[in-house]
Amino acid sequence: MTNISTSHAGEPIQPLQPNWKRYFSFSTDHKVIGVQYLVTAFFFFLIGGLLAMIVRAELLTPQLNLVDRSLYNGLFTMHGTIMIFLWIFPANAGLANYLVPLMIGAQDVAFPRLNAIAFWLIPVVGILLLFSFFLPSGTAQAGWWSYPPVSVQNPSGQFVNGEFVWLLAVAISGVSSIMGGVNFVTTILQMRAPGMTFFRMPVYVWTILSAQMLQLVCLPALTGGAVMLLFDLAFGTTFFAPFKDGDPVIYQHLFWFYSHPAVYVMALPAFGVFSEVLPVFSRKPLFGYPFVAVSSLLIGVISIFVWVHHMFAGATPGWMRMFFMASTMLVSVPTGVKVFAWVATVWRGKLHLKAAMLFSLGAIAMFLFAGITGIMLASVPFDIHVNNTYFIVGHFHYVVFGTVTMAIFSGIYYWFPKITGRMLSDSWGQLHFWLAFIGANLNFFPMHPLGLQGMVRRISSYDPQYTGWNVVASLGAFLLGMSTLPFIVNVISSWIQGSRAGDNPWKATGLEWMTTSPPPEENFIEIPKIPTKPYAYGEAHRVTSDSSSI
Amino acid sequence: MESPINSRLTPEPNHPHRRDNLSFGFPIFLISESIVFLSFFITYGLLRSQNPNWFPPGITGFDIPRAAINTVILVASSGVIILAERALRGRKLVMFRRLWLLTALMGVIFLIGQALEWSKMPFGLDEGLAGSTFYLLTGFHGLHVLTGVILLMIMYFRSLVPGNYDRGHKGVSAVSLFWHFVDVIWIILFIILYLWRG
Amino acid sequence: MQTFNLILLAIFAVAIIFGSHWLGQQAYNWLPTPATAEADYVGHLFSFLVTLGSFVFLGVFGMLIYSILFYRVGNRDTSDAPPIRGNLKIEATWTLIPFILVVWIASYSFSIYQRMSLLGSLPSVHLHPLEAPAHAQSSPTDGQPEEKIEVVAKQWSWTFRYLDRNVISHELHLPIDRRAHLLLQSEDVLHGFYVPNFRIKQDIVPNRTIDFRFNPNRVGKYTLYDSQFSGTYFAVNTANVYVDTPEAYQQWLAGAAARPILPPAPANVEHNQPPAIPLRSNWPTIQPRNFP
Ligand code: HEA
Ligand code: HEA
Ligand code: CUA
Ligand SMILES: [Cu+2]
Repeated sequence: MTNISTSHAGEPIQPLQPNWKRYFSFSTDHKVIGVQYLVTAFFFFLIGGLLAMIVRAELLTPQLNLVDRSLYNGLFTMHGTIMIFLWIFPANAGLANYLVPLMIGAQDVAFPRLNAIAFWLIPVVGILLLFSFFLPSGTAQAGWWSYPPVSVQNPSGQFVNGEFVWLLAVAISGVSSIMGGVNFVTTILQMRAPGMTFFRMPVYVWTILSAQMLQLVCLPALTGGAVMLLFDLAFGTTFFAPFKDGDPVIYQHLFWFYSHPAVYVMALPAFGVFSEVLPVFSRKPLFGYPFVAVSSLLIGVISIFVWVHHMFAGATPGWMRMFFMASTMLVSVPTGVKVFAWVATVWRGKLHLKAAMLFSLGAIAMFLFAGITGIMLASVPFDIHVNNTYFIVGHFHYVVFGTVTMAIFSGIYYWFPKITGRMLSDSWGQLHFWLAFIGANLNFFPMHPLGLQGMVRRISSYDPQYTGWNVVASLGAFLLGMSTLPFIVNVISSWIQGSRAGDNPWKATGLEWMTTSPPPEENFIEIPKIPTKPYAYGEAHRVTSDSSSI
Repeated sequence: MESPINSRLTPEPNHPHRRDNLSFGFPIFLISESIVFLSFFITYGLLRSQNPNWFPPGITGFDIPRAAINTVILVASSGVIILAERALRGRKLVMFRRLWLLTALMGVIFLIGQALEWSKMPFGLDEGLAGSTFYLLTGFHGLHVLTGVILLMIMYFRSLVPGNYDRGHKGVSAVSLFWHFVDVIWIILFIILYLWRG
Repeated sequence: MQTFNLILLAIFAVAIIFGSHWLGQQAYNWLPTPATAEADYVGHLFSFLVTLGSFVFLGVFGMLIYSILFYRVGNRDTSDAPPIRGNLKIEATWTLIPFILVVWIASYSFSIYQRMSLLGSLPSVHLHPLEAPAHAQSSPTDGQPEEKIEVVAKQWSWTFRYLDRNVISHELHLPIDRRAHLLLQSEDVLHGFYVPNFRIKQDIVPNRTIDFRFNPNRVGKYTLYDSQFSGTYFAVNTANVYVDTPEAYQQWLAGAAARPILPPAPANVEHNQPPAIPLRSNWPTIQPRNFP
């Protein structure tokens, strides 16, 4: 028998959105900050997407005929940087901010003020990056890895140049992430409601914990590397200067020591979203819950020891190549545990293909594909052929867009009723899904054959033999761009005039559904009691907040 | 299924689970911070082992005695801060304030020593790797000492507010931890910068 | 019912085995024409990866699609599905199977890697690889001395120096069935040596010389791409690579020795005459340096 205590059953629905102005204030309420993160991140998603649209427009034809070389290099550098540091990270931080305290039964996060500061650094990073387009030197143009020596060449001769601003922005974003990391880890380990043992936490909370611990251990290496690069750029030091006894390869190690785990910082919360959404819309408990939960930690730990797989074609000795090939492939074991568990969850379930569910299912399919190309990349002799080609670009867009971005959308469709108290239109959501899913596959699948054929990435013009697949990719990209329109319309109109959601429109079991929509100031009117394991679908006498057992 | 609700778990009223977050979060932050230093140390170690001719011609190493004095001062200050904490625990507030100020003073002396050290260096930041790494490592560490001194002073002034430390002193322990951290980093720096010869 | 399901599962398994085998065979055609001994090895590896990868993909994706097609219920149906929380046996199996698969993939990749190292590609960067190949049959050098060719990359051109012949060129000519021995160098930033038909790639680190060998085995004209981002004109930093018959090779060498003046590199051409483009940034750039 399970009981989920309800905080308010029978109380009248409170008025929605008492005060929208608080979203523009320095609020310390994690729910407000969560929404601030999400909206800001989405704004930058549009900017980053706009840059990608220009990139794809240039790549519609083999010749250089839209932007000049420097601008193109600036475009993909900024696209990659903005998408990672200003879209995925803050969007994940937004969802986690909103959900983690609710899911563990806390009234707020551990450090509300720190939390707010961490958020307000994000617009600073954004303004810095956008403003760098107007510098005489132009933006940073060395790719998001910013490998020296090319990144410190500074042809403009200006002290405040694009690369300088870029490094500053990355450093500030790092500070924000560390604040976030300290905050989340402390919150999850210290603020759980009575009875919320580790194995009663939803998988989403496990993934956030794993991701944020990774962030804390790995991100400082990038900060260190960025500081030294900044000194090389601006103050004449020679840490990475090859002709002055420095070593550019050290920077590569520092960069990837962080930026590889960073991809799991992005991906783990997505896995968390799938683990929440699938059970609800399959009306079944998450299959193998404890293993899915613990595999998050395993993925995190293994991913600290795989970074050299980004440098297989670099100045890397043979033993290193072989060691990191093996460690990289090992990641597929705990990841496989998750994927199989999701499939087993929907297997013989009672599926309701709402927009949130569609996005999760589509994202899992795309992740499966990306994971398999990832394992292929881990195979050194094959990676050497496709390294720095579009095969890589294809691989990672299947994850960063196909998996993580789609997971964030899935999360928004799922939790929007909780956040706003209103429902999103499901049919517009379905339209959004199909446009995005078809667009993304048209866009990113062709990159694999292109890479296999040898098309190098980061080029603004290419050999005419590559034209065919590039046209498909560009058209797919434009379709993908269009797909955001129904989403934007849906969110705005539903937020203003959508139908009332009630507290638990999906009849879900998570703790976040046991309070009002939107939740009150301190989340729960009473401190919640935590019954048993999560995902108690189909188990006898399950009580939901509207007291209807289904 | 057995009865899941355990009466033991019944919540107490009024923020029952507001545990001591600062004492938990601050060490986590320090782990993270130490990895920035680690990245510098590793870079330094790799560069130095790749370059047999580390110092510019005519220089064989840094002047140890001067730095050793500085080292002693900083290590000693770590002891002083322990005493200060003990005094606070024994509710000897005046003693606490004195020792606390002494710690800050020793930090300032260390910083002055560092400034002297910098002014006597035979090479600049942009004159080769020995300079690049020396100024980066000591500078970044110095910044932490400075932060530590500022934190010490903030805590000192807080202690002047009557009754402020009656209900516990999480901030004091956190600053003290930070100070030990800065101290340990310096010992590593002293070893790899000054004692590593050849 | 139980047997029916098992039969269904067996049919599914057989279908995806055949499907993935077929894809694995197709995979050879997805890569550009191989032109080195190394390329053949990579071709086999890729085919193997595609076969296994397709098997995993089709297997898991098939289950997912099946569920989506057959387990959906209408909006009205608000009942819950059977509360199955897990099954240790199944979970152990699906932990073990991927583990076995990746051990297989890793060991096959390792053996391919070793065979390629024996051929001389895949340099160990700091150590000099053994001069004499361990297996004579795997090396098509026929005992003839290797010709050392210095490859100098810079922003943005490639220069090839035939050290024993006093020839400098902007295109790379290699004799067929003789091991090519390149000394990769960069004068400024990172570059990458990449010829898709050869399936080999190596980043070039400034101020280091990297020994790089491979075994061309197909006559033809190929393209060398710069594979590590090197700045403004990265995209046009390409060069032509020819694998020649021994006679054609000697002929070219003789002609090239007589023609020491090199035409400007594509980057210089474009820098001096920028194409007409609607969106100009005019951001400052490193000037392309002159040939050679
Ligand atoms: C969210 C982001 C994300 C995720 C989750 C992954 C996941 C993985 N990635 Fe990816 N990757 C990136 C983002 C991501 N990657 C990015 C951004 C880059 C390029 C950066 C740049 O260059 O700019 C990159 C580049 C990259 C490279 C470098 C290639 C190169 O530059 O030459 C490699 C090489 O090994 C790699 C491998 C992997 C592997 C093995 C996984 C694994 O985690 C995948 C594991 C999952 C599965 C395998 C599927 C599920 C498992 C099963 C169903 C079990 C059975 C399966 C088998 C036995 C095969 N990735
Ligand atoms: C992390 C997340 C992320 C995401 C979500 C994306 C999303 C997309 N990316 Fe990616 N991309 C990267 C991260 C990401 N990218 C990284 C890290 C690199 C490597 C950079 C480097 O090499 O250094 C890269 C590189 C990269 C390249 C390679 C460039 C090159 O090497 O030359 C390409 C080319 O097609 C590309 C395309 C796209 C497209 C079409 C999308 C689409 O999904 C985008 C869809 C867009 C939208 C949905 C928004 C549409 C907006 C509008 C229609 C207008 C809005 C209007 C206003 C703002 C007023 N990206
Ligand atoms: Cu990734 Cu490394
Ligand atoms: Cu990776």
